[in-house]
Amino acid sequence: MTIERFRKEVADRGLSDVEASEWRGSIRLEGQVASWSDYVELGRLAVKIGTRGVVNDLEVSGPEGCDLAHEDPLAAMGHLEEGGELEGLSFDVAIVGGGVIGSAVARELSKWSISTILLEKEEDVATHASGRNDGMIHDGFAAKPGSLKAAYNVRGNRLWEPLAADLGIEFARPGSLILFHAPAAKALYPVLASRASENGVDGWELWSRSRVLAEEPKVTSDQHGGFFLPSAGCLSPYKATVALAESALANGVRISLDTIVTGLETEDSRLRRVRTNRGSFAVKALVNAAGIWADVVAGMANDRFFSLHPRRGVDMILDRASGALQRHIMAMPSLLQGREVTKGGGLVKTIEGNILVGPTAREAPGREDYSTSQAELRELDRHFRLNRALSPSMLITYFAGVRACTWEEDFIVGPSASVLNLVHAAGIQSPGLASAPAIAHDVAASVLAILERTMKVSPNSRFVAKRRPVPELARLPLEERAAWIGRDKAYARIVCRCEEVSEGEIRAALRPRPAASLPPSVVGPASPEGGAFTEARLHASSLDAVKRRTRAGMGRCHGGFCTPRVMETIAEELGLPLTAITKKGPGSQLVAGETKAPAAIHLAAILPAAIPPSAERAAEEE
Amino acid sequence: MAIDRIEADVVVLVGGPAGLAAALAAAGAGARTIILEREERLGGILKQCVHDGFGLRRFGEALTGTEYALRFSALIPGSGVETMTGAFVHEVARDEERGIYRLVAISAERGIFAIETASIVVATGCRERSDRQILIHGDRPAGVFTAGLAQRLVNVEGLLPGKKALILGSGDIGLIMARRLLLEGMEIEGVYEVKAEASGLARNIAQCLVDFGIPLHLSTTVTEIHGGRRVESVTIAKVDERGSPISGSERRVACDTLILSVGLIPENEILQSLGLPLDPATRGPRVDQSGWAGLPGLFACGNAVHVNDLVDDVSDSGEIAGAAAARFAREEHHALPAGHDARVPLKAGPGLLYAVPQLIDPRQKGKVDIHFRTNATIREGARVLLKSGDRVVAERRFIALRPPEAESLSFDPTLLGEVQALVLELDRQAGAGGAA
Repeated sequence: MTIERFRKEVADRGLSDVEASEWRGSIRLEGQVASWSDYVELGRLAVKIGTRGVVNDLEVSGPEGCDLAHEDPLAAMGHLEEGGELEGLSFDVAIVGGGVIGSAVARELSKWSISTILLEKEEDVATHASGRNDGMIHDGFAAKPGSLKAAYNVRGNRLWEPLAADLGIEFARPGSLILFHAPAAKALYPVLASRASENGVDGWELWSRSRVLAEEPKVTSDQHGGFFLPSAGCLSPYKATVALAESALANGVRISLDTIVTGLETEDSRLRRVRTNRGSFAVKALVNAAGIWADVVAGMANDRFFSLHPRRGVDMILDRASGALQRHIMAMPSLLQGREVTKGGGLVKTIEGNILVGPTAREAPGREDYSTSQAELRELDRHFRLNRALSPSMLITYFAGVRACTWEEDFIVGPSASVLNLVHAAGIQSPGLASAPAIAHDVAASVLAILERTMKVSPNSRFVAKRRPVPELARLPLEERAAWIGRDKAYARIVCRCEEVSEGEIRAALRPRPAASLPPSVVGPASPEGGAFTEARLHASSLDAVKRRTRAGMGRCHGGFCTPRVMETIAEELGLPLTAITKKGPGSQLVAGETKAPAAIHLAAILPAAIPPSAERAAEEE
Repeated sequence: MAIDRIEADVVVLVGGPAGLAAALAAAGAGARTIILEREERLGGILKQCVHDGFGLRRFGEALTGTEYALRFSALIPGSGVETMTGAFVHEVARDEERGIYRLVAISAERGIFAIETASIVVATGCRERSDRQILIHGDRPAGVFTAGLAQRLVNVEGLLPGKKALILGSGDIGLIMARRLLLEGMEIEGVYEVKAEASGLARNIAQCLVDFGIPLHLSTTVTEIHGGRRVESVTIAKVDERGSPISGSERRVACDTLILSVGLIPENEILQSLGLPLDPATRGPRVDQSGWAGLPGLFACGNAVHVNDLVDDVSDSGEIAGAAAARFAREEHHALPAGHDARVPLKAGPGLLYAVPQLIDPRQKGKVDIHFRTNATIREGARVLLKSGDRVVAERRFIALRPPEAESLSFDPTLLGEVQALVLELDRQAGAGGAA
């Protein structure tokens, strides 16, 4: 499509206040439309012009009013403190964004003897898209052949298994089963197989109706066999992100939380300084891994050749007991509708054994709008019928995440065409988690190429790949569990009864071992394989941060019982009053103050504690 | 792995009002009895209930929950009951060959240890339904509390949840927390109830809301929570007869705290791990009048069986189950009692939400109280009949029946004779005849 043709199609729609122009090799839309759906439709239409990117700067008027192009990430960050910790410092590399991509890039770069800082505007890593997805490590079948998504997905899928082992996080390959909804769908097998082959997916099988039934006894009777992809995996996306960040931290990367980029200073097509709420500092290279804000960060560097639009997804979380009712990831897309095959949601069994129902996909204006709606939830009902044993009464909660979508619906990975020392990892939506290790590898290579123009870069001889995680006692054999309890009785005190999380695990997650006070790599005792491993912990301070690391509060009572004890443990470990404990960082204090009798009458204290057997015997003797 | 092994006749899970009563009854009957309590102290949720009204029937006094728990736990020393607090049950397995249960538990005092027991009494109580389980939407900021969590923060931790609260749910906990938070200096925007009438006891409406000028909004619910970090406001909406929000009736109410008193769910994950199906109506196990829960030596009581209104009933059911568990442990063969299939099912008829127990053992002596709830309010009076076929075994008249208030009907099962099945029937036609 030519730009003239595009203008005509816009005019045919009666949209008079829209201008399209070429801009930095991309197409830029300006003006005003009356609805969000017009905004989305024109963004998609503009892709057909075939330029490098689409920058959709249309303002939406009316009740859905929004102006994504001029949205300021600072607007919602009024709670952030100003500080001067970073003022006047100098780093070889700054990474903007502590999601799975930024954290994975940080770890890749920690293999080299360079100075790296990771900037994250929230109180923890993995608070946005990386902590708000189903944890599926896709096989790569669904991505469009020839896309960056397809290539990175398949590479990332292979890299995750050894990486997860190094990071000390669980990874499994339950495989993904695409169920046929009609007998005729089986005829599509050659098409499906050819697509899988084209994308380089690691294996695929045609399963008969009876094979499906044998593998999944609770499956709907309304299935007609399926297409099985054994390489599909799963992991905990927030634990993975925390693990990547902690591994980077242990290997010398500085991580600055509650830190937002407020501006970038450019000189001779090079970024020179990064301005933040904690001061400005010099850099030799910058990585843009800013998630849903990546186009805004690109804009700060005068390299906004693409724009992002948010697409919200909602997932339901079912009780962990649901995990026993299903072995694989299952979905039943409408393969016969002639549209491009989309994933369309389904039933994902997580690494912890919960089943997630979803996700939905809804274009919606808010970049960080995680509100859900009844209509979105209703869309998920259809997935329940895939497994006859599931019921909505198993629902624990539901959550929303926002995908950072380019109009081209593909990733942007690599050095900027106009800024000499900027590398983008933008538009990383699904399958971004699956792709992360491969993206990080390529981004790090681009960064090194930039640095090597001006300096000599050698490997970090003290890099330690293996990380020792906070133990998850409920998932350990009893012998190992007993050994932990032998070391510290706190591991025997269960705080979260639903997920069986001990006080010891929460304390371990809260005890930072700042890299500053220790050698760049904290070398612990030898691991069974004989190598060394790191133990640095990224400072966790909020209820949600504890939840991401230990699952305390993530179970069926959803924090109803354990919240006070987790608060107490955080307060003790960090030396804070209970009134200072937050749910998700500054501005989210859990309580407003103390009751009228501040030295609370601890009513529980008047109740007798356990009566030890000896005391009981003494009582009998009397 | 070699771990410490303890033998017992009866293990009671856990030490709330049902478990304490069960353990005392079991030990009183001569059984070696252990209470495994997950918290550091006995008493369960009663520890945080500083309001009065507990134990009117049992002790003839209006005690606070804390006092009620204290009265019970004071009986433990010298009773023969061994208490293990801070002890979490990791796993329960049935050893069919030896006719015992093997529990693996964890506590700071003992580390990982095993208990082998002939009988188990499940008295695990219930948990609270949370915001998303009643389909409240919006984001997930700080400031959303279940009523029980808020109660613990205020009464045990001495912490005030917020400055201005809106309370959803007019069940007793919601009403009590409205008053409690007001007395502690919080502003209470109001109590909202999705149903057309209040769910709590009439005395709580009077003493907690009316006396303090707290408004009660009926047929209204919260549909959405606003605020990214801390609650800033909520959307409320009127609901139709089916409880669905009426479009156009939405209104935003500013508050920094949302307290939810929207239902309790019996906690029966241990029973489920033993493969026992739950009654969808109660979300508890199907029990007979002794609390027998479907496997040899397995008993359940209190709120784990169905959500009770009064703690006295909870303790009563604990005593019955504890005594039955001790009786079972004394028997030589730890298998199903001979002729266990003599138990007959008791079904709740139309108009009734549920009836407990769901099984009646005609061989067990003694009066049986059937607890039931209607699924709608009946103001014109009604008769409730226990029938075997066309034969009426027992009946009782009621002036009114309300779902929030469980009622009971007594009968003597040894007088049943030959029955195949029992049905509890609601007869609304009888209402005009007046009430007894």
